[in-house]
Amino acid sequence: MTVRTAPPAAQGEVERRTPLPIFTRALVDGWRSLLGWSVGFTAALCLYLPIFPSLSGNTQMQQLIDSLPPELTRTINYQQIETGAGYTQSTFFGLIGFLLISIAAISWGAAAIGGDEESGQLELTLAHGVTRVQVAVQRFAALAVKILVLALVAFLVVLFWNAPAGLELEVGNLAVTCLLFGGLALVCGSAALLCGALSGRKVWGIGGGAAVAVLGYVFNAIGNQSADLEWLRAFSPYHAAFGDSPLANGTDAWTLAWFYLAALLLGALAALTLRQRDVGV
Amino acid sequence: MPRLGIVMTSRSSSDSAVHTSVDPGVDIAVDAVDLVKRFGRTVALDGVSFTIPRGSVFGVIGPNGAGKTTIMRALLDLIRLTSGRATLLGTDSRNAGPELRRRIGFLPGELILEGRVTGRRLLRHYANISGPVPLGRVDELAERFGLDLDRTVRTLSKGNKQKLGIVQAFMHRPDLLVLDEPTSGLDPLMQQEFLGLVREARAAGQTVFLSSHVISEIQQAADEVAILRDGRIITVSGVDALRDTAIRHLRMSATGIRTAELHSRLAALDGVAELDCRATATGAEATAVLGGALSPFVRAIATLDLTDLVVEEPDLEESVLRLYSAPEDRS
Repeated sequence: MTVRTAPPAAQGEVERRTPLPIFTRALVDGWRSLLGWSVGFTAALCLYLPIFPSLSGNTQMQQLIDSLPPELTRTINYQQIETGAGYTQSTFFGLIGFLLISIAAISWGAAAIGGDEESGQLELTLAHGVTRVQVAVQRFAALAVKILVLALVAFLVVLFWNAPAGLELEVGNLAVTCLLFGGLALVCGSAALLCGALSGRKVWGIGGGAAVAVLGYVFNAIGNQSADLEWLRAFSPYHAAFGDSPLANGTDAWTLAWFYLAALLLGALAALTLRQRDVGV
Repeated sequence: MPRLGIVMTSRSSSDSAVHTSVDPGVDIAVDAVDLVKRFGRTVALDGVSFTIPRGSVFGVIGPNGAGKTTIMRALLDLIRLTSGRATLLGTDSRNAGPELRRRIGFLPGELILEGRVTGRRLLRHYANISGPVPLGRVDELAERFGLDLDRTVRTLSKGNKQKLGIVQAFMHRPDLLVLDEPTSGLDPLMQQEFLGLVREARAAGQTVFLSSHVISEIQQAADEVAILRDGRIITVSGVDALRDTAIRHLRMSATGIRTAELHSRLAALDGVAELDCRATATGAEATAVLGGALSPFVRAIATLDLTDLVVEEPDLEESVLRLYSAPEDRS
């Protein structure tokens, strides 16, 4: 409803309120960005998945991969590229998809509080009738929803190609993989939100979120190289999500819950941090 | 509107920062007691106390970094005081809930508005998180300021963004308005419109707390003015008293007069300082600052053959700086 088209106001009549205004605005303001990332996801998947049939059972391709240094194939997880699950995991969820969703999550997370404070707009929002905890919680919720939308896009597009590309993925396994994929991104995005809330600067949020994503990936890659370094994988959210090949094997409820609980914890810490400190200084 | 007494103290003027309340029966909108704020080793506020009666307009003035913005942010609980307390509309500002802030309208000093949303949508958003906005109020305010609400916020000029900021501060008719440099970026016509809005607010019983650099604005709008420097209130006074202390820059040139003669004419006047006379091709020109009354000056130059005369509006900030530039004894 716009004011201009409203009938003449009766005495004392006031503008209607939207419930959860901070959450709603974060979602509505972010729709272009969300749409852009969704298109990017779809494009990446539509580039990779259709060519699987020409690669699987292709001895030349397998020879090419065998000729690569084993350290490289282990780093980019190309060992199991001959199965549909291994291929989808290696090319999308473990690599380009992880990269894209991490960048999206980290930039959204860093902008949600740190970026907003740095630009000076958080000050004005907090001067209105909202608490800091409300602002942090509703923006965290909007971040989670946007990331889950991206995970849903990945689910739908992979599901679409499942039969045409002969991936032979189990729908249940695909669903939990997408939830892990989203959960991993949400942890990175929440870390960015927390670092932004701690510092009031977007760049620290990006740094904090990127540290979780990059170190998680690097620890997993190094841990894959030798038994001596396997302990590094214990510190890798990336390994926790994808180490047991969820697309082929599924996952247990605890692994899944771990990511969302960790993200909630980071979000709660962001809210508490923001409540304590001076804003806009 | 009866003029209500305001009692201001600061540490510089009294060791114990005695805070004397106005009559207990008088309704107080803002009661700040000995506000202290440190950022690390920097003291931003050094024992600021003031009281603003409900329904009055209170101006605070001072150079950049004096602490004007810090006071406003502390009142809104955006920053937390190191010590001291402030009561707004009967509620302690610290950790005050949304209910208090719904009764306040705030305009930040450096208003930054971004985004691809239209002004109307942005105001809708702020209406959602502020006190109830009467239907039609936003359009009424936008019309007064000639503000196009259907343009995207980030394409608006600084002045138009400032108008949006003013609208969001006033639209829910808050009991208390906290306005940091409200007219910055506005052209003179819009400044007058804004001052009209402030007068209406006062007439409606709303309280206005504003900071400004512009003497004419303070003069027209405020009942009382506090002068702030280095985190302390140096003085608080009525506007008339303040105007008397203001100085004006003046510049003039005249033909058919020698430098020495011009100099002697002007130097004889009370309140003329920094007099500088130079010869020109046809006569002489002078620059000076003038404190005090204008009439003697006008009489002194009435017989000259003037080719140019500029008397600038009194610069309150500069007057204040000059008046209080002498180092003070710190308690």
